[in-house]
Amino acid sequence: MSSQKLHVDSYERGWMIFSAILLVAFAVAVSVAAFGMGIQVPAPEQRVDPRTVATDPNSPWSNPGLREVAPGKYDAYILARAIPLWEYLPKELTVPAGSSVSFYVTSPDVQHGFMIQNTNANFMVIPGQVSKLTVKFDKPGTYNFICTEYCGSGHAIMYGAIIVTP
Amino acid sequence: MAKKDKGDDDFRPTGTLAILAIFIITLIAIWTTIYMILVGRGGTL
Amino acid sequence: MKQYQVSAVEKKFIGSHLLVAILALAVGSLFGPLQAFEHAGWDLYQYLKPLIKSYYQGLTVHGVLNALVWTTFFIMGFLTFNVIFGLKRPLKNLTLNKVGFWMMVVGVVAAAIPILANQATVLFTFYPPLKANWAFYVGLTLVVVGSWVEGWGFFLTYKDWRKDNPNERMPFIAFGSLVTTLLWQICTLGVAVEILTMLLPWSLGLIEHVDPQLARTYFWFTGHPLVYFWLLPAYISWYAMLPKQAGNGKMFSDSLARLSFWLFLVLSTPIGIHHQYVDPGVPPTWKFLHSMFTFGVFFPSLMTAFTVIASLEHAGRKQGGSGVFAWIGKLKWNDPAVASQLLAGLLFFFGGIGGLANASYNVNLVLHNTAFIPGHFHLTVATAVTLSFIGISYWLVPYLTGRKLWQPKWAVIQAWIWFVGMIIFSNSMHVLGLLGAPRRVPLGLAPYVPAEWNSRLFQVGLGGAILFVSGAIYLIVMYKTATNKERVEEEVEVPIAEPMQDPANGPIWLDRWAPWIYGALALIVIMYGPILFDMIKNIALTSPGFRVW
Repeated sequence: MSSQKLHVDSYERGWMIFSAILLVAFAVAVSVAAFGMGIQVPAPEQRVDPRTVATDPNSPWSNPGLREVAPGKYDAYILARAIPLWEYLPKELTVPAGSSVSFYVTSPDVQHGFMIQNTNANFMVIPGQVSKLTVKFDKPGTYNFICTEYCGSGHAIMYGAIIVTP
Repeated sequence: MAKKDKGDDDFRPTGTLAILAIFIITLIAIWTTIYMILVGRGGTL
Repeated sequence: MKQYQVSAVEKKFIGSHLLVAILALAVGSLFGPLQAFEHAGWDLYQYLKPLIKSYYQGLTVHGVLNALVWTTFFIMGFLTFNVIFGLKRPLKNLTLNKVGFWMMVVGVVAAAIPILANQATVLFTFYPPLKANWAFYVGLTLVVVGSWVEGWGFFLTYKDWRKDNPNERMPFIAFGSLVTTLLWQICTLGVAVEILTMLLPWSLGLIEHVDPQLARTYFWFTGHPLVYFWLLPAYISWYAMLPKQAGNGKMFSDSLARLSFWLFLVLSTPIGIHHQYVDPGVPPTWKFLHSMFTFGVFFPSLMTAFTVIASLEHAGRKQGGSGVFAWIGKLKWNDPAVASQLLAGLLFFFGGIGGLANASYNVNLVLHNTAFIPGHFHLTVATAVTLSFIGISYWLVPYLTGRKLWQPKWAVIQAWIWFVGMIIFSNSMHVLGLLGAPRRVPLGLAPYVPAEWNSRLFQVGLGGAILFVSGAIYLIVMYKTATNKERVEEEVEVPIAEPMQDPANGPIWLDRWAPWIYGALALIVIMYGPILFDMIKNIALTSPGFRVW
């Protein structure tokens, strides 16, 4: 065995350098979107006890729904559950166009998903954790939110809607 | 082992570069399309 | 020169792996099209009710048998062959490897019973607090531990070889196989801890609650490198066998091939959190760091693309091919082993593109758990890997059994049908995902499906039907080959592409295990240590189990 240097063909060296530059460019692009445009992934928000989160009167998810926290700004507390039936509570939310809504979603039972169609709100719902992302709804219309993680035999019927009024 | 055949030394993988160029163009096009969907949908904070 | 003779006992042993693998593929692939048909509105599950209770049970069978059993058994069989043939010596301790193999078989049976009894309809990711019957977790554990035991058998064989050949460069197919084995042994620690410390005692009633967020983190510690455990055996074939089969080509760069395998070992584990970008309990800092390393692991894949294509180009030009692209036509497309693997590699380009998009941090918000994901991994594990393994079996089964491949023409047709079916299936799944269709949902039943998805859903069913035909042809060809009365005149030649440069002249650090292993472990400690420490310190055992299927 010798200790010769790594032999790299000149075409292949060019390809490797180009590959590295390309990957750096992608990394820069996602960083710009994340830190420049505020398109972020969920961060740890709060931890809860899934056994009591839906019933404890001090828990916002014992009375899920919309709260207007400032003009045009809302907090939406949503419970995703498989028991007794696969559903979101509440099933429907109505906000005026231009509203900014922060979704706080948790589960008292199994894992679920939460994806609002045609928005960047798409995250896991995990018992014991609270998932939060914010969406600004500029265009009026109906935005379905859909369960994206297998949660038992009723998974396919689990959805709700945000109605954005003009 | 690895006896050199005639012609191995002047083998230049030009076709390889051409295939990879097509691949990279496709990669950038698809990736950018999805990235633009993300950016078009706006911030989440 | 006569090639190294693998003993009849060992050939049979390798063949047993392939037999279990192909049986798993046969049963698992029955359910794939059922899922696809359901999307198109042809729900056949209603007629299977006495046997299979739901779409989700079928999906569990499909995922476990195809993604876990078919792959793991084929891989362990192929790696066993590569170690023996590459090192030109029998396994050090065949009994040990047989013990590993039988543990895996018992494991599959143990997991299959509750799955078929609808007691483990938890899909192949088995996220708690969905709680399966304990036998499911025992079965998975036995499969993993059995594969470890077989791996230890490889390491012992290597140790003896190294003692006898202290200064020789390890033949590439053995090298790649040992790196794959090592990667597997390191990365499966995650799922082993998940099952042994949480899921198994929980399913046995010894503990009452689990922490689902921690369980996911353990799972994906294993879940991403699992992808490389699937891919690397195909890469071994693409690097070191396919160029020879395609037209007597040489391996363009032995050194860079080895370097890319080392990079996979080092980089494929400390990136698992890129599957958890939208988990609520993982801080974005860790998600971001893992995303940056994920871009890093794309690098050896791009190196692989160059070396493999250049080796194929070398083959094409040797066959008299010219021009920029015309040499492609000179490759031996009528050899089914070649056609399968070339088509597998071609679709892998698109698998790579989708994978890069998934892994791109916030870009995942557009794609996470949409139909894009199964669209993506049907190009990777179900085509790049599976169609390559099918291609390998087209020469390996005749080699092992001494029986001629039955109707090679049909084998070539099979590969093309797979290719066409997968393009239709996968393209429509990707598009559906971008339109917002979720994965793992019987979309034929879902109340929220808009009419604009319908044409794509039909294409999903159409692709599934075409894939079903391809799978059926494969099984017929395999059955007819295994029972073929016509025998090969002399032992099938094992395709080994010679490297263009003498590997002995490569740098010495490509043959050192320690720095790469330490590097891999160090990166795991850096990228997983703090987050796991934090999660375990703050463990919240608050989730009881649920059986909601």
